[in-house]
Amino acid sequence: MIVTKETKTGLLLSAPATLYVLLLIAAPVALTIAYSFWTQDFVEVRREFTWANYAEVFSDPLYRTLIFRSVRIAAMVTFLTVLLAYPIAYYIAFNVKKSKALWLFLVTIPFWTSYLLRVFSWKIVLAQNGVVNSALLSLGIIDAPLDTLLYNSEAVVVTLAHAWAPFAILPIFVSLEKIDRSLLEASKDLGEGPVRSFLRVTLPLSIPGIVGACLIIFIPTVGDYVTPALVGGSDGAMVANMIQVQFGKANNWPLGSALALSAVVCVTIAACIVVGALKLLERSLK
Amino acid sequence: MKVTSIALGATFASLLSGTAMAEQITVFDWSGYDDPGFFGAYVEKYGEAPNFSFFADDHEGFNKLRSGFKADLAHPCTSVIGKMRATDMLSPIDVSRLEAWGDLLPTLANLPFVSADGQVWMLPFDWGNTGLVYRTDLVTGDINLQTLADPAMAGKISLPDAVEDAYALAALAVGVSDWSQMTDEKFQEASDFLRAVHTNVRFYWSDQGQLDAAIKSGEIHAAWAWNATELAMIFDEIPAKMIRDPEVGVASWACGYVHLNNGEGGDEEVYDFLNALSSAESGKYLIESWGYAHANAKSYEIADQDAVAAYGYSDPEGFMASSLFGFNPSQEIAAKMLKEFERIKAGF
Repeated sequence: MIVTKETKTGLLLSAPATLYVLLLIAAPVALTIAYSFWTQDFVEVRREFTWANYAEVFSDPLYRTLIFRSVRIAAMVTFLTVLLAYPIAYYIAFNVKKSKALWLFLVTIPFWTSYLLRVFSWKIVLAQNGVVNSALLSLGIIDAPLDTLLYNSEAVVVTLAHAWAPFAILPIFVSLEKIDRSLLEASKDLGEGPVRSFLRVTLPLSIPGIVGACLIIFIPTVGDYVTPALVGGSDGAMVANMIQVQFGKANNWPLGSALALSAVVCVTIAACIVVGALKLLERSLK
Repeated sequence: MKVTSIALGATFASLLSGTAMAEQITVFDWSGYDDPGFFGAYVEKYGEAPNFSFFADDHEGFNKLRSGFKADLAHPCTSVIGKMRATDMLSPIDVSRLEAWGDLLPTLANLPFVSADGQVWMLPFDWGNTGLVYRTDLVTGDINLQTLADPAMAGKISLPDAVEDAYALAALAVGVSDWSQMTDEKFQEASDFLRAVHTNVRFYWSDQGQLDAAIKSGEIHAAWAWNATELAMIFDEIPAKMIRDPEVGVASWACGYVHLNNGEGGDEEVYDFLNALSSAESGKYLIESWGYAHANAKSYEIADQDAVAAYGYSDPEGFMASSLFGFNPSQEIAAKMLKEFERIKAGF
């Protein structure tokens, strides 16, 4: 190969990025894959190839339940967040005439406090002597505090849906903002009412924003660890909590790695299904 | 010129290493244990406390040490000593250099994970109980360990999110008072008991503050908890107490200092620090200011007698003899418990 000056410059320019990706992404992933085929022997890791960890992950109903539960919780969070975010994004895109920037800025205000603090705040809101219970009690709607608010998977869904709301609002807003307003006028001129205009013009054109929002929310929430640990109780525990146990108390890194990689595969499959379904929806609406 | 730059380099190197004294020791500890009240004699002699680095739980600390973290002393509890010895991290402790070794409570000094193979591997420092803590105003009638599995207590129970503590409870509930009696059969019984309690559990506590708040608010009526929780209730005047009756069942825990063999500090400093920690004065401070029990038997004589009585430390030896100590089932059963506990928590 003849190395011209141009190739040299190119290689030099891409070297930092390549190095970064190799060191911080490729190497850790390779190590995790390698670990997942090894076995833990009390305090030592035996470096012999085996499928045993994957066999355990897929044959044991415990891990299957945790992975499915994580996918289900993340799907519910995604659905709820997008559903609640859409009207807000719609309002800012179509009804706010002046100072849109200020509105968007307001949407990001929850991010000014730490994620952990927001989870703790939800604990205070949902606790047995918390905000919701004391309000309902003082209004005389209930006689005894509800103990079904906290420490279950619903509490996890509520907390995550609140924490991730801006991540849904912003991409949906961008896709709504991009819609050519003359298309809506044309729809009106051709005799469509507001509902059908929305369903046939606005919604299909905002699908890319919805797809973006779904992916941004779904992928990180499947692997969320802090929220289920704090508000999930035992039936809100997710796969990340089990992975943490394997790397900590259980001291079984190989099984932890196999669990982590299995979760990644399941998330990829689930995400593809979500995107595929939305694309189908887009086509059927057009 | 060259000489100056070498001298400068050396100065910088010693500045970077943090101290002028190369012999300074590093102690790897639970947060809060850098309280100078515990090692007053050491500070008096050296004019400053050693370097401290902290961990949040035994297993995290063990993993950090395994991956190469260097320290002279660490403060683990009994559950990771086996792993530490299996990985050759520890140096035996020369008890002839410890002034107070003979004053330690004999039960602690003879614990299997403290003295083994003719050597001493850990200097016991603090110990206490894990037992049934309940709200005396909310739980009426007789209470014992089986009460935790009573359907009437649904949603009012909290268990620790630590396999050692949970299985200590289960062992006591099925009549095991010594870890050597923990057979496969008893392990099954114990697991069935935990499974029955699981249906009543509101949450598994991992942070004592969370548990204390829930007991104070009346959300949790009974919990398997450390004596520190009972102390928190005493301080806040909440009607709650820990059952220490050996007929009902109570467990004890102990933590202490181990000498790591990859430390870079001086040997003399290590023993001066251990001597300061094991002195009766250190124990007096631990009992009076922290409400924890100390390993030195003489500290109970010089501490405020009202505090000793209020915290239940009047007869430490007699007390320990009748409780289930530490977590010491066979390695094989311990591994099974770890797996089983995760399944139970997930509802399997």
